[in-house]
Amino acid sequence: MKQVPSKSVSRFSLEKLKNKSEWLIYLVPFAVGVIIFTLYPIINVFLTSFKENFNYMTKEFSGWGLGNYTYVLQDPYFHQALKNTFFYVFIVIPISTCLAVLIATLLNQKIKFSGLFQTAYFLPMVTSTIAVGLAWRFMFNYKSGVFNYFLGLFGIDAINWLQVTTGNFPALCIYGIWAILPFTIILLLSGLQNIDPMYYTAAKVDGAGPIRIFFKITVPLLMPTIFLVMIVNTISCFKVFNELFPLFSGPGVANNLYTAVYYIYYQFRIQIPSRYGYATAAAVILFGIIFVFTMLQRIIEKKLKN
Amino acid sequence: MKVTIQNLTKCFGATTAVNDFSAVIESGELIALLGPSGCGKSTMLNMISGILPVTKGKIFFDDEDVTDLSPEKRGVGLVFQNYALYPHMTVLENICFPLEIKKVKKEERIARAKEMAKLVHVEALLDRKPSQLSGGQQQRVAIARALVKHPRILLLDEPLSNLDARLRIEMREEIRRIQQETGITTIFVTHDQEEAMSISDHIVLMRDGFLQQIARPQELYDEPANCFVADFLGTPPINKTYGVVKNGTIVLEGDCTVALEAAKNLDEGREVILSMRAEAIIVNDSVPLAEGTIDEVYVMGKEVLAYVQLGSKRVRAYVEADEEYGKGEKVKIGLKKRGVFVFDKETGERLV
Ligand SMILES: Nc1ncnc2c1ncn2[C@@H]1O[C@H](COP(=O)(O)OP(=O)(O)O)[C@@H](O)[C@H]1O
Ligand SMILES: [Mg+2]
Repeated sequence: MKQVPSKSVSRFSLEKLKNKSEWLIYLVPFAVGVIIFTLYPIINVFLTSFKENFNYMTKEFSGWGLGNYTYVLQDPYFHQALKNTFFYVFIVIPISTCLAVLIATLLNQKIKFSGLFQTAYFLPMVTSTIAVGLAWRFMFNYKSGVFNYFLGLFGIDAINWLQVTTGNFPALCIYGIWAILPFTIILLLSGLQNIDPMYYTAAKVDGAGPIRIFFKITVPLLMPTIFLVMIVNTISCFKVFNELFPLFSGPGVANNLYTAVYYIYYQFRIQIPSRYGYATAAAVILFGIIFVFTMLQRIIEKKLKN
Repeated sequence: MKVTIQNLTKCFGATTAVNDFSAVIESGELIALLGPSGCGKSTMLNMISGILPVTKGKIFFDDEDVTDLSPEKRGVGLVFQNYALYPHMTVLENICFPLEIKKVKKEERIARAKEMAKLVHVEALLDRKPSQLSGGQQQRVAIARALVKHPRILLLDEPLSNLDARLRIEMREEIRRIQQETGITTIFVTHDQEEAMSISDHIVLMRDGFLQQIARPQELYDEPANCFVADFLGTPPINKTYGVVKNGTIVLEGDCTVALEAAKNLDEGREVILSMRAEAIIVNDSVPLAEGTIDEVYVMGKEVLAYVQLGSKRVRAYVEADEEYGKGEKVKIGLKKRGVFVFDKETGERLV
């Protein structure tokens, strides 16, 4: 009788050990993936950015130093790229967030055909980029595009969106806002669905109209989600790159749409021989900028909470 | 303000939550809307507040037909079961919110909110957020927010069900005090008969969407209109026995004859329910009406509760603390007039 408990204890701990190795087995494939495809490249990029005159093929370099950084920080193309990227972020983030909050709130109402509307808003996520690019080129067409048609209705001169440098940047922003909306709306919708409807009922009983309910109840209660999408979208907007191709197949008509990531791409792929040092230095600088902005947003969020 | 409810009906698809309900609620009273869970109390309250449209029937506030008015036009103050305090606003902002909507000037708004806070004793908590309040404090704030716009009627849906037992007693007395200080007509929903009995002027008892009885608490206890009302009120629950009228007596299941005086007027052979409150059963009475056997005796503080076998049923009876009974002892059972009812077995309708 006395042996039974000790036996069961030892079996118990054996089982525990087995459980331990079991979770390791589950973890390993994922961990290997992360180490090979994320962790190693990050460290490698960081190290490479300090290697001067690095040759990727021979792995030779002339020495450690900040040479890549001084070059990149003095490169007018990089200045242009940063300027474009910052403007892009500061235009796309506020407009897309406001639009998404508005649209998500409307989609969250019990309206007729809301399923239809929801599908329509999420369509961009699953449509091929080539088809999307074609459609947008039609809409931005100088002579027959729908954008210039609407501008004309308000008596505004037509803009040559695609062929003239001054039109390129607004076109990019409009496209970028459109492209980011579906994902943003999905996140906000899930945030909205977490708001207890009794708050709306309480406000309605007191006679609050829809606009007051929106600003005084919906938006404040949605604030955590709004901050989340702003942080996620800011990061993705700082990395603006893909958006250049559907409309312009590159960085604008006169290379005027250089963005930070395009600059990295340019140093890495288009320059021959590739300048890995410059590309990685630019990448580390971009990482620093995004890091600072994300931290700033989190600090603001915390401040607002109290 | 007097509330008149006429033939009110509410259907949700096939279910009828409130069924042909008529009642008059007198001005300045505290009314408990009582009934088991799912009987349509919330539905009833939401129709009075205007949140839910009615299927049929009418609601009057004094002489004004408010059936088709939207909630804000009715002037109702509503307290939700989970309080529904806006989590992003402070206590003061929460109380001010209804006035803000009414475009009351800021100074007046704050003055009135503070006055309300004082009434419900939360004046020290004005700068806190709801998450920093206890359940009872949240409840007080919710009442202040409902009252600040000077509604014509205050409606509370299960206001105490989220509180622990001790706080519940404290808060129900607070609700009573606030109601009496303001004199506002108040309807509060509860499924707890004790809660309803202890603070309300009148109780409206519901079951399955139907009105059962409206009466003062004591009257409801002493003169239940039907078997359901008698069952629903009282702790311990009323003793319910089944029997048949024979020769002017009631013969209970298990062949126990109860020589109830009032049974003489009942039709021979009628199947009835004899319900007796525990305090109405006298053990070892000088005028015995029936015979029973002591089964068990429990001493609970100052009260002694005896379980007595009456026919095939075990009934609870209060006995004197100084008397001692042995298990299996035969006792003569008497019944008081008050607290003994006979209902029809089929309909539950009160016969005696
Ligand atoms: N919105 C609704 N849709 C369908 N059925 C409902 C709805 N609200 C309540 N009911 C039904 O009506 C009945 C009464 O509900 P309710 O008024 O909430 O009861 P109580 O508040 O007394 O517990 C229940 O059977 C419930 O299922
Ligand atoms: Mg309810």
